[in-house]
Amino acid sequence: MEVLSALPPEGPRKSPQRRIRTVSVNSLRSAATTAHRPQNSFRQDSEYERPEILAPSPRQPLGFGRHLLQDSGRHWARSVSPSSSRAVSPNLPAERRFGLLSAQSLKFPDVDTPRRTSEREIELAMGRRWLRWMHKRGVKDWVVPSLVLASTCVKFSVGLGSYSGQGTSPMFGDYEAQRHWMELTIHLPIRRWYTYDLQYWGLDYPPLTAYVSWICGIVGHWLEPSWVALDQSRGIETEASKVFMRSTVVLLDAIVYVPALLLFTRSWHANRSKRTQNLALLALLFQPALLMIDFGHFQYNSVMLGLTLLAINFFAQGRDLVGAVFFVLSLGFKQMALYYAPAIGGYLLARCINLGWTAGGKLFLRLAFVTVLSFLVLFIPFLPPFAPLSAVLDPISRIFPFGRGLFEDKVANFWCASNVVFKWKNWLSSPLLIKLSAALTALGFLPNVLVLLRVAWQTQLPAGRSKTPLNNTLLPLLPYALLTSSMSFFLFSFQVHEKTILLPLLPVTLLLSGAPIDSTVYGWGVLANNIAVFSMWPLLRRDGLGVQYLALMVIWNRFLGYNPLRLPSKSFIQLLSIAVYLAAIVWHILEFVIQPPARYPDLFPVLNVLISTPVFALVWLWSIKSGVEVSWAVGGLTPTRTSRALSIDEDDERRKAKPPVTVGAPPARKRIPFSDVVLE
Amino acid sequence: MEEPKLVRRVPSESLKSPTAAESPSTTKRKSWLQWDLDSSEYDLLFLSTCFKLLLFPSYRSTDFEVHRNWLAITYSLPISKWYYDTTSEWTLDYPPFFAYFEKLLSIPASFIDPKIVDLNNLNYDAWSVVAYQRTTVILSELVLGAVLHRFIRGSIDPSTQRVISASLFLHPGFLIVDHIHFQYNGFMFGILLWSILMARNGNKLASGILFAVLLNFKHIYMYLAPAYFIYLLRSFCMSPAGKLEIKNFLSLANAVIAVFVISFGPFIVMGQIPQVLSRLFPFTRGLNHAYWAPNAWALVTAADRVLLRYVSRTGADVAINVSGVASTSRGLVGDTVFAVLPNIKPIHTFIITVAFQSIALIKLWFTPNYKSFLTALTLCGYASYLFGWHVHEKAILLVLVPLSLLAAERHAYFRTFVLASVAGIFSLFPLIFTPGESIVKVIYSALWILFVYVPLTRRVYEYPNSLSFVIIDKLEKIYLAGFAFLLLFITAFPTWAARRQGGTLIPDTCVSTADFTCPEPDPRPAGVAAMEFLPLMVTSVYCAVGLVWGFLRLLYVYLHEERAYQGPMSRI
Repeated sequence: MEVLSALPPEGPRKSPQRRIRTVSVNSLRSAATTAHRPQNSFRQDSEYERPEILAPSPRQPLGFGRHLLQDSGRHWARSVSPSSSRAVSPNLPAERRFGLLSAQSLKFPDVDTPRRTSEREIELAMGRRWLRWMHKRGVKDWVVPSLVLASTCVKFSVGLGSYSGQGTSPMFGDYEAQRHWMELTIHLPIRRWYTYDLQYWGLDYPPLTAYVSWICGIVGHWLEPSWVALDQSRGIETEASKVFMRSTVVLLDAIVYVPALLLFTRSWHANRSKRTQNLALLALLFQPALLMIDFGHFQYNSVMLGLTLLAINFFAQGRDLVGAVFFVLSLGFKQMALYYAPAIGGYLLARCINLGWTAGGKLFLRLAFVTVLSFLVLFIPFLPPFAPLSAVLDPISRIFPFGRGLFEDKVANFWCASNVVFKWKNWLSSPLLIKLSAALTALGFLPNVLVLLRVAWQTQLPAGRSKTPLNNTLLPLLPYALLTSSMSFFLFSFQVHEKTILLPLLPVTLLLSGAPIDSTVYGWGVLANNIAVFSMWPLLRRDGLGVQYLALMVIWNRFLGYNPLRLPSKSFIQLLSIAVYLAAIVWHILEFVIQPPARYPDLFPVLNVLISTPVFALVWLWSIKSGVEVSWAVGGLTPTRTSRALSIDEDDERRKAKPPVTVGAPPARKRIPFSDVVLE
Repeated sequence: MEEPKLVRRVPSESLKSPTAAESPSTTKRKSWLQWDLDSSEYDLLFLSTCFKLLLFPSYRSTDFEVHRNWLAITYSLPISKWYYDTTSEWTLDYPPFFAYFEKLLSIPASFIDPKIVDLNNLNYDAWSVVAYQRTTVILSELVLGAVLHRFIRGSIDPSTQRVISASLFLHPGFLIVDHIHFQYNGFMFGILLWSILMARNGNKLASGILFAVLLNFKHIYMYLAPAYFIYLLRSFCMSPAGKLEIKNFLSLANAVIAVFVISFGPFIVMGQIPQVLSRLFPFTRGLNHAYWAPNAWALVTAADRVLLRYVSRTGADVAINVSGVASTSRGLVGDTVFAVLPNIKPIHTFIITVAFQSIALIKLWFTPNYKSFLTALTLCGYASYLFGWHVHEKAILLVLVPLSLLAAERHAYFRTFVLASVAGIFSLFPLIFTPGESIVKVIYSALWILFVYVPLTRRVYEYPNSLSFVIIDKLEKIYLAGFAFLLLFITAFPTWAARRQGGTLIPDTCVSTADFTCPEPDPRPAGVAAMEFLPLMVTSVYCAVGLVWGFLRLLYVYLHEERAYQGPMSRI
């Protein structure tokens, strides 16, 4: 207390000038030497005796001396303390940790600069700032729970808004469809599920959706029978039934999607720091498009996406059979998961090739058996002995409706966009169009499937080493294959909804989740996400979700610290982003201000399509290109089978400028995380 | 020991703007132009604004229509009719500054949608008016944000003050009362905090003027007036030796009178003062609000109910007030009449309130410094809340906001803060009874507690040094843990009761607002009606226990302040 006099008399109002002086390094040193010798020596020793550094130090000791340690901006840069290390997760092997450590000390040669540098480097994104605060304040154990809680809170808040078809009698919308399925599954025998009153939202999703609806319906019936009374409850819009329906989405999401995301960050980003993993989780949890469609518009996409993601996670752990089962479940929940099928199928086939003839052949047979078996289990109530064989045709014909047109609403895909200049329906017959779209789609997804197979062939393992799941060279290719395949379906296939953009968005967001803030992947990822939400604006506006659109977009971009100006200067992606955003903003302003002329009532939706489609097409091309590049990185340019050379792509030039992050850790290269190879 | 304090990290923005080091006034002016915010502060602003946007379509209480009606009154009627209009039942009953504020808001409203300001367009709830009114709440709350931001800037310990400021800006109380329920508390507490900030910075004249302004926005802040009066009188109008400083006194008195003249002037000229006052102070209400605000009277009322049960069961020879028996079974508004205990009159509550306040005020008189003022201010609001006549549960914010500023002072204050905040925020939960919003309010409050509690508790940790410390600490922790069970109980109970009765789900009780009394419930079997209010009663009593204990705790800590270790704020 007696040192009070050291402060200027008006303590709280001392001028900033004075405080600038006090922070200078000299004063820090002198203060430390006089009053805090132990800590000072701790700092100085830190360069020579590493084991001491790693010992946990008390973060917040009682009393007035505490802020010296709190000043971890300088602290972490000089040493690796368990609570402030950014890039080191404690469960890494020791040599990797020290490799990082030396990289860090290379980065910050003297005492004065690190704080500014580190601040610029870490704190670009709100998510990072928040994580840093959590770590500094000793709340880091709560990062994941609070993230999950916060996202749940946001999901329910979005759910406060209106849903699709609210108050639009007599047909209502997607919300009513889902509710209606609960109603019919609990009141009717299974055989009639796919045949009951097809005009009023007949069930047209695969059986797993029906089973889930059945369970939800039972719970709903237990809570309040009038919510799901057969026929009587059509169009019910009570406050309580809405909350019940919203809760089922959030609950299923929490059971399937959230754990899948958590597993993803822990398995795919396993050799990244904890903070990067949590940042990835943050980016994935608050992805605006999915939040808006599932919790605002009302659908259960997150279940289907979560099941696919679980499949991918199991692939990453080398458990291909379990993964295959989960992918079948995903298909069995919503047939849209077929968009991923070429990639998943290609990947599994490539795995078989990669393992060589005997082991691969065995795996192939097992995969085939497991896949067929899980399909049979899913459809078992529609198969003999429970039903005549013809019964299975009911769900099948409902699931794949080829009777509808090429596209329904205004969708940002190839057909709808090109329809502006070339009226497809006037020139070509419907069956021909179907064939054409199928051919184009196949052309669209083939490149990356072929790349997968080629790499599998190139890096084929010698016999006897097939049991090493970690040595999976195909894994980095998988997200790109998923993206290419789902995007080509979105762009070229038949009967696409604007909501289906969620499927390509999943791999895009997975890729973006671990990428550094100034990388190309990051630029493409955020651009695709933002434009996807933009392309759904007409739908969202119809649903009355304008405020949610604004709020979720802004906060997600803020979380990621996204700013197109910060992308690599004058790169293609930067110019593209700026141009597209300008167009989108102008579009929004025009749409808000101008009434479309009577001759063109669809003027703005069409313009929206014309802005969004090129972006999606470019994302698709970029994904093919990146897939090929990654395949070079993984498999090498030449067809020699053992080549492990890493390609130097455009971004590597920049990486050279910085000290490489993985100095002294060649073993870690064995399993290449997809975001490390091309993207940094 | 203190010296390293000087080595604290400088807020980064002052590094960036070395020119900002002139006199305080120029710094301030510059920063208003320059938006002196660093990125984490922008983060909070974005986060809170986006979250509040998501709450646009949420449940709105009748206060929403009250404020819409005031927009219409101030827009379409001449000032002379403002306090006379009875087109709607929600008549204007806030002081004139708030009426002027509504007038200001009504002008853009008329451009956005003329129907908003149509006096006869009652219960208008189109999207335009919802979005507009919710937006005005968010925008006016920026006053709070700006003031809290200035609190960080001159603070002794900016990183802790940052946590406290953020906790206030994101306070669940404001979220529940302003952004869901609908009121303008954030804005007005912004003025209160501005006034406190001026007191901290030594500008006591401005502090007094701002408080006078605040009183003319909403007269509920009179709860805090005694502390202001004593503090300004003792530290501004008198020298430390006790001599009257005539110049200061006159300037303060003139300024305050001027504020009141500006506010009430038009009504004085028109001779409407009696009418305005009768609107502002309607003395026709009962001891308790519909949902008993968790104060001392809730405990007394609950004790009366328990005693009545006991008496009617054992047949003890006690005089029972028959009207009180009826009052118990109704549970809703109206005069609370006790069945067993002696009845309470307004004068009793007044005397008790003043008695408790004066304990704190006497202490303030002898130690008129900033920290003492802040504590006394909290205690003043606290005493009024606990012992006042017809207190609303929302008034707990009057306690929680100044108390938050003391939170990091030391462990005793922090613990009081945690107890009062948890109990106080929980006591606000019944305001929002719709299921969707209820989930949001619970999760949000839990997250808020997490982010405030964990960082601060490390900062103020004290090693337990006596047996009583350990016992009290354990009991308080048990009490806090009890809220989880209470939450479970009040969530599950209505469903359970409805199932037991075999009927359909009874919708949650209607909760009255400032000027709104719920209609009588349908005549149901007495058992059901009593059951229906059980969760509310339990909530009220449980919160009241914590709040009363928090008050006694704070009072004790305040009176024994000199004997304890001094926190950082004592230097101001």
